[in-house]
Amino acid sequence: MELEVINSVEKEYDEDSAKVQNLNELESLRLKYLGKKGLITDIMAKFREVPAEQKREFGQKVNALKNKIEASVEEIKANLAQKAVDEEIKNTKEFDYSLPVDTKTGSLNPRTIIQKQVVDIFKNMGFIVEDGAEVETEYNNFESVNVPKNHPARDMQDTFWLDNGQLLKTQTSAAQNRILRDYGPECKVIFPGRVFRNEQLDARHENTFFQLEGVVVGKNVTVANLIYFEKEMLKALFKKDIEVRLRPGFFPFTEPSYELDAKCPFCNGRGCHTCGNSGWLELCPCGMIHPNVLRMGGIDPEEYNGFAFGMGFDRLVMIRTGLDDIRHLNSNNLKVMSQFKTKM
Amino acid sequence: MKISINWISDYVDLSGIETDELVKRFNLSTAEIEGVEYKGKNVQNVVFGKVLSVENHPESNHLHILKVDVGDEVLQIVCGAPNVREGMVTAVCKVGGSVIAGKIKVGKLVGVESYGMCCAEDELGIGADDTGIMDILEPVKIGQDIKEVWPIDDVVLEIDNKSLTNRPDLWGHYGLAREFAAIFDRPLKKMPVADLTAYDKLPEVKVSIETENCFRYSSVCVEEVNAKKSPREMAIRLNYAGMRDINLLADLTNYVMLDLGLPMHAFDNKVVKGINVLSSDGETVMTTLEGEEHKPPKGATLICDETREPVAIAGVKGGLKSGISDDTNSVLFEAAVFDCENIRKTSRTIGLITDSSQRYEKSLDPELTPVALSRIVYLLQEIDKGAKVSSRLSDCYKKKYDKITIDLDPNFIGKIAGADISKEFIVKTLKALEFGVEEKGDILKVSVPTFRATKDVSIKEDLVEEVARLYGYDNIVPKPLAFDCAPQKLIQSIEYEYDVKLMLAEKYGANEIHSYLWNYEEFNKQNKIDTKSYVHLLDSSNAGQSGIRSELLPTLIRCLDENKNNYEDVKVFEIGRVVSGLAEDGNVIEDKKLAVLFASQNKTELELFEEMKKAIVDISRNIIGVDIALEPGETVSYMHPVNSFRIKSRIADYGYMGVLHPVVKKSIDKRFNVVMLEVDFVKLAESPCYARKIKAVSKYQAVEIDYNILCDSNLKYIELTKLLSKFKSKIMSGYELVDIYENKEVLGDKKSVTLRFNLASFDHTLTGEEIEKFRADFEEYIKRVGLEIRG
Repeated sequence: MELEVINSVEKEYDEDSAKVQNLNELESLRLKYLGKKGLITDIMAKFREVPAEQKREFGQKVNALKNKIEASVEEIKANLAQKAVDEEIKNTKEFDYSLPVDTKTGSLNPRTIIQKQVVDIFKNMGFIVEDGAEVETEYNNFESVNVPKNHPARDMQDTFWLDNGQLLKTQTSAAQNRILRDYGPECKVIFPGRVFRNEQLDARHENTFFQLEGVVVGKNVTVANLIYFEKEMLKALFKKDIEVRLRPGFFPFTEPSYELDAKCPFCNGRGCHTCGNSGWLELCPCGMIHPNVLRMGGIDPEEYNGFAFGMGFDRLVMIRTGLDDIRHLNSNNLKVMSQFKTKM
Repeated sequence: MKISINWISDYVDLSGIETDELVKRFNLSTAEIEGVEYKGKNVQNVVFGKVLSVENHPESNHLHILKVDVGDEVLQIVCGAPNVREGMVTAVCKVGGSVIAGKIKVGKLVGVESYGMCCAEDELGIGADDTGIMDILEPVKIGQDIKEVWPIDDVVLEIDNKSLTNRPDLWGHYGLAREFAAIFDRPLKKMPVADLTAYDKLPEVKVSIETENCFRYSSVCVEEVNAKKSPREMAIRLNYAGMRDINLLADLTNYVMLDLGLPMHAFDNKVVKGINVLSSDGETVMTTLEGEEHKPPKGATLICDETREPVAIAGVKGGLKSGISDDTNSVLFEAAVFDCENIRKTSRTIGLITDSSQRYEKSLDPELTPVALSRIVYLLQEIDKGAKVSSRLSDCYKKKYDKITIDLDPNFIGKIAGADISKEFIVKTLKALEFGVEEKGDILKVSVPTFRATKDVSIKEDLVEEVARLYGYDNIVPKPLAFDCAPQKLIQSIEYEYDVKLMLAEKYGANEIHSYLWNYEEFNKQNKIDTKSYVHLLDSSNAGQSGIRSELLPTLIRCLDENKNNYEDVKVFEIGRVVSGLAEDGNVIEDKKLAVLFASQNKTELELFEEMKKAIVDISRNIIGVDIALEPGETVSYMHPVNSFRIKSRIADYGYMGVLHPVVKKSIDKRFNVVMLEVDFVKLAESPCYARKIKAVSKYQAVEIDYNILCDSNLKYIELTKLLSKFKSKIMSGYELVDIYENKEVLGDKKSVTLRFNLASFDHTLTGEEIEKFRADFEEYIKRVGLEIRG
């Protein structure tokens, strides 16, 4: 008789618990069965009335029921929590992850970005990074780098002369004499800078542009060293192996002088817009430093020698960015200039 | 410069070598080839034809209908040339053939069918004449392909003139042939010349040189010249080389120039009988062959006749009245060498750069003058057998270059090149380039040929180039440099430049610009920006932009002006060089400056000011490691008289910062609030980073107390800190500014400064009594210094 009560409570619980929809209903369910005045307590109260021979079985059954209900309530609770999370997730609106962002970053002149990349390469190769004035003496710009007065090479560079007899440097080489004196005879130095030529502006010509020049002076420096160095430097710059070739060039400050071409890294020499279909990019004028230049820099050319090389940043910028008008680089046009941000 | 491979082949046999290989090797060994033209490629199926009849076209008043005999047939051709006539022999492109402009098809011209085209020189690419169809006077076989007779097929290489700057010997085909011969190890042929010594008995031309700028003047006269026109082969070569054929004598001088690189001149011997080479007084006016008037500068070299009347501007251009005309049959040929600088100066001054002046500028070899005369006489007599030499070779040789001999240790070449180059190769190469080589023990005595000795080759390093370029740079194996691990010097002002730029761009949203080195005088004047220029360009392409800038801000203001209609906020900066004065020796004092400009239509001047102050403090403290402060002081006239300040550290004054002057602001755009700064970047970046010490931190609980201190609204924060500096408390470790509150309605002329005091002890937790004592002491102190604490 009493055992039947247990069964009927269990049956009732099964029916009730199946209907629970939320935490409130679950709490009512819990109170109805497990509360102080709940059905389990009621059944327990009947224990005394249970005949002695059934007490054991009765006790076991009540406990089993109580455990079952407790476990069931926990399970329902967990299920409801799960359901709630599922519901929440289901109702979550997906972000528009594609919206553009504005980091409010300003911008660097692309030359600054390229210069940083190039200068870092040279620093890794153990070069000192130097600087030079923009207004120079005739001696530093010309004489000291073996361009005597009336030398035709002075025609190749139309010079901006100043009313005090000085000039705007036409080439970064203007710093060479001072650098040889400051660091020679064994040194590796680069000196990027802005140079000036008095010429008409168009999309490919500026009167103000950026170059980099470097010198390596030591004992027994060779053309083979120069080629090796240029290859390694260009490999770092273009992040791939670069085939180079030397062609005879003519610069008064080097002897022999070369034009160094790199196999166009954009088309691998097949010919493209960047290399003007030639397959080669004319990148670095270079050569073995002329003994006169060494001598004027206070270095004995019989004991030491070295090489010098140059590079135009503006051209690198144009190659890298597809900028088709060099004049932008000196312009105040923020619509163009601010596009580059700080990396490229 | 354009060179013809046919012409080169007169002097060196290049058979069996592909054009690509010619170009590649020449590029790598000698000079840059900028372009290759395959001449005659588009000229196909063009034959000699004879015009049998000429009829007027019924529908057109300039077209004619021709019957043209082309050997195997007679074609009807409609032709528009004005010079067409019956019996004329011309070049006819048959149907299916092609000319420069394209393929020839059967055409219909105003209703009449045309089976071919009669060609003008320019349509075949062999001449410049476009006035009418070719009028071929020389005997030819009707129907024969013109290419079988005329050397129309040729490869023309365009060499970059710049890469020949130091090579006067390469401004003519013979010198170039010498290079090809050396490159491909083939013999160089001798150039055929006349033997002028045969005329030594004839009278000489009277030549006198009265200037140092004429090194050598040689001449010879020829009479009874009856041929007027150059042979076709010569005319084609001249045209392919970028000149045009004019008349035989003028063409010959050009031809020899293109052969030897030495410009020549021909005078009408009836007009010019003797030569005086004089220096111009700067007043003489010359009319050139083209009829242009020029006044050569003082010191320019003039060629004058026997009456000292100028007949040519030496090395640049001939004069009109002494020039060769169609009537000339006796001629005085000039072959001379002038000082390169003198010619260059003259040509630049009068703005006349000619094929001749370009060559003279390169320092030509005076030894060439008799060669050129022998060559021109040879060529003339080949063409006109009746031409008679009428004078001996007259030669006035004033200045000889020194003979250059270089002692060369053959090992030196390999040592500089970094390759194993044998003595045999060195000797062979130098000889191929016509250097004299004599072995004296271990040393080679190398004598430089005169055509390389005018300035190009003088030291042993030059010989390295000669040998190495022919050895082939592609044969040199790259070798690493010796290893050295000494750390290199870092220059702070260079190291920090990028960091400062990056911080301004990334953290403060500013854009870097590069502006020109000169001031914009007009802009500055218009906007009342007063800025100096200590030096000026002598020649500026743009008026009003000749003064070199002494500061960067005026150009940044101009940048704002140029962008004001595109943006509501403009933030720009520049690190650049300026000329900030003149030193005692007259040379400039140059500085590297940093300038920043923030402008906004949305932010107040104070907000911009705070932002910029933050930026410069950030740069100074966090990149360079120096603490800076603003102090009142004089700045520049275009900054606000009240709100502009000096930027200083304890050790130096770097520059200034402030609000744009209201007058300039109104002139630029009154919508924009503008704040800017300019500092001496090198001075700032080279400031020593002072050592910072760790401040001890108490391990006991710290207490923070905020006080709102009421003070006069004009009291500067630094003055407040001075007032507070005398207050002493053992438990106070410091205070910081939290907020400043100003509100006229609530506080009147006062402001409330909220300071947060940090209290702590290093040996115990603070007690309530200690904190209360601090409060009482502080509040008492505040009253004593005349301030108030706001509840």
